[in-house]
Amino acid sequence: MKNFAHINARSLDEAVTALQRYGKRAAIIAGGTDLLGKMKDEILPAYPEALVNIKTIPGLNLIEEKKGTLSIGALTRLEDIAIDARIIDGYPALAEAARRTASTHLREMGTIGGNICQDIRCWYYRNQNNRFACLRKGGGRCYAIDGDNRYHSIFGGSVEQGCYAVHPSDTAPALIALDATIKTSRRSIKAEDFFQVSVAKTTVLDDDEIVTEIQIPKPAGTSAFVKFALRKAIDFPIVNCAAMVTVSKKKVTAARICLNAVYVKPYRATAAEDAMKGKAINEANAEAAGAAAVSGARPMPYNAYMVQIAKTMVKRAILGCA
Amino acid sequence: MPPICPYCSTTFDAVDKLKTHIIAEHGAEPLPRPEGLIDLMVNGERYELQVEPNVTLYTVIHDRLGLTGVKMFCDRGACGSCTVIMNGRPVLSCMTLAIECDSATIETAEGIAAAKHPLIETYVKHHCMQCGYCTPGFVVTAKALLDRNPNPTEEEIREALSGNLCRCGTYPQHPKAVAEAAKLLQGGEGGTR
Amino acid sequence: MNKDDRERIIAPEHTLRADKYPLEDYSAIGRRGVRRKDGYEKATGYAVYTTDVQLPGQLMLRILTCPYPHARIKSMDTSKAAALPGVRALLRYDDPELPERADVSGHFGGGTEGHEPVLNRVGYWQGMPMAVAVAADTEDIANEALGLVEIDWEERPFNLDQEEALKPGAPLSNPESFPDGNFVIPAQQREAKVVWGNPDEGFKEADRIIEWRMRKDKENWVGPERPNGLFRWNGEYPEVWLKHQRPHLSKRQIARFFKIPVSQVTVHCLYQGGTFGGWSQMALNMQPNMIAGILSKRTGKPVKWQFTRREDFCGAGMDNARYQVKVGFKNDGVITAVAATSCFARKGFAHLGHFVENTRVHHLLQESNGAVLNIMPGSAFRCEQNMNALCLGAVLNRVAEALEMDPTEVALKNDGVEGRPMADLADLKRAHGFGGDRDSLKECIEVGKKAIEWGGKWHLPGTKRLPNGKLHGMGFTFTHEWSDSSGSGALGMRIERDDGSARILAQRCDNGCAAETAYCQIAADELGFRYEDVHYRQFEEAGFTTMTPDSSTNLTVNGYAIRNAARQLRQKILEIATTPRIPERPDMGYYPPFPDYKPEDLDIKDGVVYVKKDPSKRMTMAELVRPAFFMGKMDIGSTEPLFAWGWQNQQGAFMGTPGPRPIFVRQAHFVEVEVDPETGDIEVTKVVNANDVGKAVNPEGVEGQQYGGSVMGISRARAEDTIYCPATGVVLNGNLIDYKINTMLDCGPIDTIIIETGMGYGPYGSVGIGEDVATVLPSAYYAAVHNAIGAWVDMPTTPDRVLKALGRL
Ligand code: SF4
Ligand code: FES
Ligand code: FES
Repeated sequence: MKNFAHINARSLDEAVTALQRYGKRAAIIAGGTDLLGKMKDEILPAYPEALVNIKTIPGLNLIEEKKGTLSIGALTRLEDIAIDARIIDGYPALAEAARRTASTHLREMGTIGGNICQDIRCWYYRNQNNRFACLRKGGGRCYAIDGDNRYHSIFGGSVEQGCYAVHPSDTAPALIALDATIKTSRRSIKAEDFFQVSVAKTTVLDDDEIVTEIQIPKPAGTSAFVKFALRKAIDFPIVNCAAMVTVSKKKVTAARICLNAVYVKPYRATAAEDAMKGKAINEANAEAAGAAAVSGARPMPYNAYMVQIAKTMVKRAILGCA
Repeated sequence: MPPICPYCSTTFDAVDKLKTHIIAEHGAEPLPRPEGLIDLMVNGERYELQVEPNVTLYTVIHDRLGLTGVKMFCDRGACGSCTVIMNGRPVLSCMTLAIECDSATIETAEGIAAAKHPLIETYVKHHCMQCGYCTPGFVVTAKALLDRNPNPTEEEIREALSGNLCRCGTYPQHPKAVAEAAKLLQGGEGGTR
Repeated sequence: MNKDDRERIIAPEHTLRADKYPLEDYSAIGRRGVRRKDGYEKATGYAVYTTDVQLPGQLMLRILTCPYPHARIKSMDTSKAAALPGVRALLRYDDPELPERADVSGHFGGGTEGHEPVLNRVGYWQGMPMAVAVAADTEDIANEALGLVEIDWEERPFNLDQEEALKPGAPLSNPESFPDGNFVIPAQQREAKVVWGNPDEGFKEADRIIEWRMRKDKENWVGPERPNGLFRWNGEYPEVWLKHQRPHLSKRQIARFFKIPVSQVTVHCLYQGGTFGGWSQMALNMQPNMIAGILSKRTGKPVKWQFTRREDFCGAGMDNARYQVKVGFKNDGVITAVAATSCFARKGFAHLGHFVENTRVHHLLQESNGAVLNIMPGSAFRCEQNMNALCLGAVLNRVAEALEMDPTEVALKNDGVEGRPMADLADLKRAHGFGGDRDSLKECIEVGKKAIEWGGKWHLPGTKRLPNGKLHGMGFTFTHEWSDSSGSGALGMRIERDDGSARILAQRCDNGCAAETAYCQIAADELGFRYEDVHYRQFEEAGFTTMTPDSSTNLTVNGYAIRNAARQLRQKILEIATTPRIPERPDMGYYPPFPDYKPEDLDIKDGVVYVKKDPSKRMTMAELVRPAFFMGKMDIGSTEPLFAWGWQNQQGAFMGTPGPRPIFVRQAHFVEVEVDPETGDIEVTKVVNANDVGKAVNPEGVEGQQYGGSVMGISRARAEDTIYCPATGVVLNGNLIDYKINTMLDCGPIDTIIIETGMGYGPYGSVGIGEDVATVLPSAYYAAVHNAIGAWVDMPTTPDRVLKALGRL
């Protein structure tokens, strides 16, 4: 790994100041499991000049449930979320999403803040030494369109002929289904508005903005998370799905369903939500909701199979809420 | 060289103690620590090391401390062979910056062996190694599990070790060895020879 | 050494029959629970691998790799790189010291393979190390220097697919070496077309004929220790740390390359972090070592090199082949003819060999086409029999499907040797020194079926849905066991003076199958020592042209060598115990400890020499050999040094050539799967391995190869594939996140069953096991998936292929 300057921020202010000093030339490091891989592979056109370590900021590593809201500090390790009894009980989609993320070790290192801020896994983007200077790096073209796109978007690109890389987080769809709010060093953002696509970015955060906390209202209904990957550990999802469903008198009154790894950002399956409203949770209805979720799919040459899997994930997430 | 007080020349065994001393006795701001100076407690031994920001914990432990129990299989956080226990958590040393490990307590397979942890012998007994390259990473991960969960179920063992890759396919043996070590730790009959 | 041992050494044809002199009693051999010799070292991390070695002042070497699938360097400017502080040496393709072509392949050691430019100006696949190498103070500096090399590339058209590459008008993949076209006869095969018997006749005899196409994609070896090496030029001669499975060949190559005597090359071959018969950068395996040697000589410093994991992924792949198979068979399941045409990415291996060695089918036609491509070269990865095993498994199971028969029955109907059915072979077995009455396959199938509950669970393809909605499948395959590479093994054995313990000295190439432990078990029983008193020590000079550190055949050759040495040594011990060395000086201990006996009156057990008729007359080995040296006393030991050499030659049957050693031992594998019809996910819920290893010297080691091979086999069959971008020819998944090797959760329980019919040609009737389960198992998995869904899915069986076969896409 090439060298860089390293700053241990002792407070949020210190971190923000450091980020402002370096502008785009700095990167935030928390768990480091995503960032260091990118740096070792030198995938980006510009190597960061400085890393701002935010693990040294006190108070960002906590899980608290107060007044019907669960607060999780941005530095909370995924493993701590996965095994927290309150989360397993009250917010099972999140606990399960955390548990199914990566591997034991990576969950002990990776933070929830980092998990939602992680970069895309497109294998062109990640190819070593910036081998493919694609759109997402400010280059002229997307290599996945003519290449092997078996793990790319089934719902089209970010802009016309744009990037087709999917968002790889397991916890992101859970947070969206649970209607979480993301607090940063300067504002609060609804989880579903948090993600976006642009050059070298997956979120709406400014360069000097830091996620500090995640707040989740006590769910009215039940939630569930399902994931499909080639291996049962380590892997990023091929498709995952989180659902939160509220049922009254055996009928669904409200549903929030979010797929991930199928689109450039977490994909809220509103068609499936609508399909479930007023219906009972059963195999046939869940199946129909799954079909509705993928009705707008536009798979690429190598990834039509993901449509079938996405459909199944939606169905199983809904059934998981029964 | 141990840290020495610039005012009264008392020596200390740790920089933090020196700092407290300077504030308390001399009412002065202690000098800031040189950047990149880290204090590590590895297998019960204390080390003070100067590191560049881009140096990983793996490099420090393997290349500088000479502990070959951290192995590098993937170099990208995907295999577990470089696992160490840091402050009670099993972490991947290839994806950890040494400069961020100041005052950490670290255990490697060598330390686990020195402490005569039963895992080592149960691992030998159950042939949990073939080429052996991945083995210390498994041992360390298993030790972290037993520290927290002294009586894990087979499923829990498999889950905990699922981030450790073994190309030789020794997987079926590890749960046996870990379960037996757990039993031995609790004073039960493990049947070691 | 007895007559048999001697004959085995001087006359290779004597290795064509069973071991005549097994022991009557076994103590350490075959015993469970002996402590692995390498266990503690490996569990604690103290075991040292080549990658762990660092020498003071060492430089790090990095070599440029080709960013394109096919490109030539028009011009290259290395001045900026050379000027970077910390860069100590740089080697370019046009360096005058480099020979035009040299043997850098590392595998065949002097054959015609791999005569390549050490640093090529043309790159023939993405990731090929080429053109320029830099040695610098640190790896980071060397990398930075490579980034400063300015190259004007001429990109060339390229081929990624063998069938496309063989079409008229396809661009040339390697115009320098293959100017006439991309077609090659796959390596290791003499002819493109090989015929046994009369295939036309065979098809005429058939009641039915079926035909199909299948493919197998590009696996990668993924050895956990990346390829690396360290070269220190000690003045005139080099000292080399090699991660290599054939260090003896490398040593010879180094000597030849640098024009120095072989005996002046020192090679250290430490523990190997995985070898698996193949390893990446196969075609250029010795290239970095030679470069490191040149630069170490120039700089006077040790030079270490190591590929990155990604570079390693680009180095070599396996199994990339397409097949067109035609089978004729009778209505009762007897196969009358097989014709199979393969199309390999160079290099390919035989694909009908197992029918020759292993069945009664005697009408065979094997046609192998190979294409030179612009992807990583093919290499043998645990092992080159993959193609053979796949074709046998596929044929067997397709015939079973066509006849709606149980595949285990089809197997038993066709089992045989070189065209003759097994049932008629009792005489042949006897002629080769085996009892003749045991039927290995029958035994394997019987125990295997029971273990997996085949009787209650097997069903016709595509007919069973489980209550959980998944499709249930049972698969089976079989073939023979093998240990038949030709070669020789040589090693030394000595008794330590001070405590009478024994030590085997041999070149190490530990690849994890507990071979060193097994060698010690053999030596212990042959010497009459306790297992604990026998040790193995890496000693490279014992290894000249030996089989000792070869990955294809270890125990079955080296076991004899160990035994030869041990028997000589045992005889020496007994002679020394009964013969005066200097009869005039009994006071100095030069008088026999057992003065009134002859060697044959004595025996050794548990390291104690005793009189057979009067066991109270006894002496431990330590007492017998006496300490080496007493300060201030004249007693400098009563015995001459106790040392022996053992060696063994083996003539092998190799890859589909009708063998001089008909093989009677078999293996059968059973796999149970559940297929999720909605996602295409396949879960392996149970595996049973039934291996007739003849005699298990180290049973846990055998089992390790069984379950280890199963884990690897499932992994290869389920998801392993090196993926090239079809548009740019660049490897996309060269890391352990995107290349999917099994985790602990990806394989169900594995039952390992050892059968011991004694029908192997190795010592005590043993046979090899290390390569075969990982190689054969994919066919059983392939059959299980078919049995579940009723359609054939090419491997790796990724969800897209499964869903397509299910008609969901
Ligand atoms: S999908 Fe996006 S990240 Fe991948 S190559 Fe295309 S533009 Fe780049
Ligand atoms: S080497 Fe660190 S996780 Fe693989
Ligand atoms: S023992 Fe070889 S990789 Fe695990």
